[in-house]
Amino acid sequence: MRLPGTRYQEHGWEQVRKLLGQCSLQACARFTPAMLLDADPLDSLAAYIDAVAPLLQARAARGEAPGNSYGDTVAELALSLVFELQARPADWAALCAAVAGEHARAPQFWTRPGGDAQLRKKFNDLYAVLRDKVDSDNYAVACGRECSPNRMYAYRMLDTAYHEIARLFDAWREHPAQVGAILGREIGAMPIEARQLRSILDCRPEWILNWSASQERFGAAPGPLHTRSKRFASLKDNPAKIGAMLREIGDYEALSGNADRDWLQGQNDADVWLEDYWRVLNESEQGSTPGPDQILEAQQDELAAPVDIEPAAPESLDAPALAPVADGFCVAPDYCSMAAAAEDRASWAARRMAQYSLPVRLAVYLKLLGPCDDSYPPEWLIGAGGELPGMAQLAQLDGISLPTLRKRRDAAIAHLNAASLEAAGIEEKRRWA
Amino acid sequence: MGMTQLDRKLQAGLLLGARVEGDRLQLADAVLRGALDGTRALTQGERSALQGSPLTLRRFRQLALARRQGVRSGWAGSRGMLRAADSGAIFDTLHTDDRMWRLHVVDSGGKLAVILQLDPQSRGAAQVLASGVQVVVRDGAGAIVLHGCLDPDGECEGPWPFATAPAAHFQQHGARFDVMPDV
Repeated sequence: MRLPGTRYQEHGWEQVRKLLGQCSLQACARFTPAMLLDADPLDSLAAYIDAVAPLLQARAARGEAPGNSYGDTVAELALSLVFELQARPADWAALCAAVAGEHARAPQFWTRPGGDAQLRKKFNDLYAVLRDKVDSDNYAVACGRECSPNRMYAYRMLDTAYHEIARLFDAWREHPAQVGAILGREIGAMPIEARQLRSILDCRPEWILNWSASQERFGAAPGPLHTRSKRFASLKDNPAKIGAMLREIGDYEALSGNADRDWLQGQNDADVWLEDYWRVLNESEQGSTPGPDQILEAQQDELAAPVDIEPAAPESLDAPALAPVADGFCVAPDYCSMAAAAEDRASWAARRMAQYSLPVRLAVYLKLLGPCDDSYPPEWLIGAGGELPGMAQLAQLDGISLPTLRKRRDAAIAHLNAASLEAAGIEEKRRWA
Repeated sequence: MGMTQLDRKLQAGLLLGARVEGDRLQLADAVLRGALDGTRALTQGERSALQGSPLTLRRFRQLALARRQGVRSGWAGSRGMLRAADSGAIFDTLHTDDRMWRLHVVDSGGKLAVILQLDPQSRGAAQVLASGVQVVVRDGAGAIVLHGCLDPDGECEGPWPFATAPAAHFQQHGARFDVMPDV
């Protein structure tokens, strides 16, 4: 399924989920899951990100199968979800609580037989929730309409239901009774609807309701609109709403199927919008637009029910072993002096972070822009691929512990954040003076 | 204090990477567009809302880039009004004030279809067509009437999305419409 802005709603998601599960287990092995029980989830989150991101980056560098029809690879999608997690500590805290709960039932469950699978399930749940949060945000950004994670889940449920109905229609000879139940009449010859059903746009909302209602009778689990869960309560008796959602999926599929949507990416200077941002802030400060503020009310999305976790499909344990990732390249002895000399001292960020050591400053770039960026001076980069040193190496270069480096890095980022507004004002005045 | 390319990327990373639990869109597109166009500056409260909501900021970025794309193609949007005489009985072809676009509704096999046409003679039409920009038509209340890409003839067609007939619908929703570049 494709919807405006979404990245994680196509079949490739299964591969993304598996890769995240694998790499998360590998990352956990480095710092033992007992760390997830620590009092401060922020610390364990930082440690997890530092461990898992290089594993995924190594995968991404190798280039792999696309995980969606926009050309994002599985590893890139996994990596950007990890990047999102880093900014959403509440989701991480939920994972820690789930691990702690399991640990209370079965102490150190991850060391027991099957414990790996249990631990991986926790990560699967974490990312299943996160992908819908991320995509509902992406959707809102793309079309300016509010969307809850549960609404995203509902779109996907309807899309899956449509595909199931299409499959049944296709095999109407084998399933005459259920096709009859969906259409609301007895089936003798090939139903005309089966011939006419070409896309989700042709799917009638009543069929979805009838299909869901019939599932249990035909030997399956209760249909999604007929379980005891309240999740889709607002859709249950509302074919008009179902129809509108089906249409939206179908319309966008038709649009995105033949549309060239690359023109936005075509702008090399993708940060040009910053100028608009600074200008708008400045005009707002100078201007005297009379009130009242036109701020949107929080909208009540009927589908924004509390999200119960989507049951993850059982997964075989024969996942291929991951190639070990080297712990980083050697850093030349004069790296720090070379890197410091290459830093543009006039730059805003360099001056703002002057009180921090070079490794801390580089850790800031690593966190905000990733290990590779074409604006990094070559003197900063190491290894064949040309990337910033990893966190462990930076800590070593600075002669401090990894947790201390993380704390200083985050302090530097907070400092930059505070300075960022002021910088916007200065830049703006300089530009428009 | 200079802003290097790396500084700008870092600032964009700071702004776009932030997340707020329970964040939502705080400002309507119309308010953001007004600020971008310079027709209505944000109030202090709106400015705080923009700065405090990464999601709203990401929407702002989307609109800013679309607007720049429009400016690059020489077109940042067009507006049109229903003529006062429209009684609601028949829906006539509508034109935008700049005569760049025609909007009309046809009966296509028992279903209403809405068609937007770019006038190839109008100023900037070739650039708009070449930019590959998507267009969105909204009614006076901001609801989407049509959304899509222009075909090589400068046309875009879609189903009429409302239960109410076109003339009545436009009358009830501000008696005007916008054609804007969209992302």
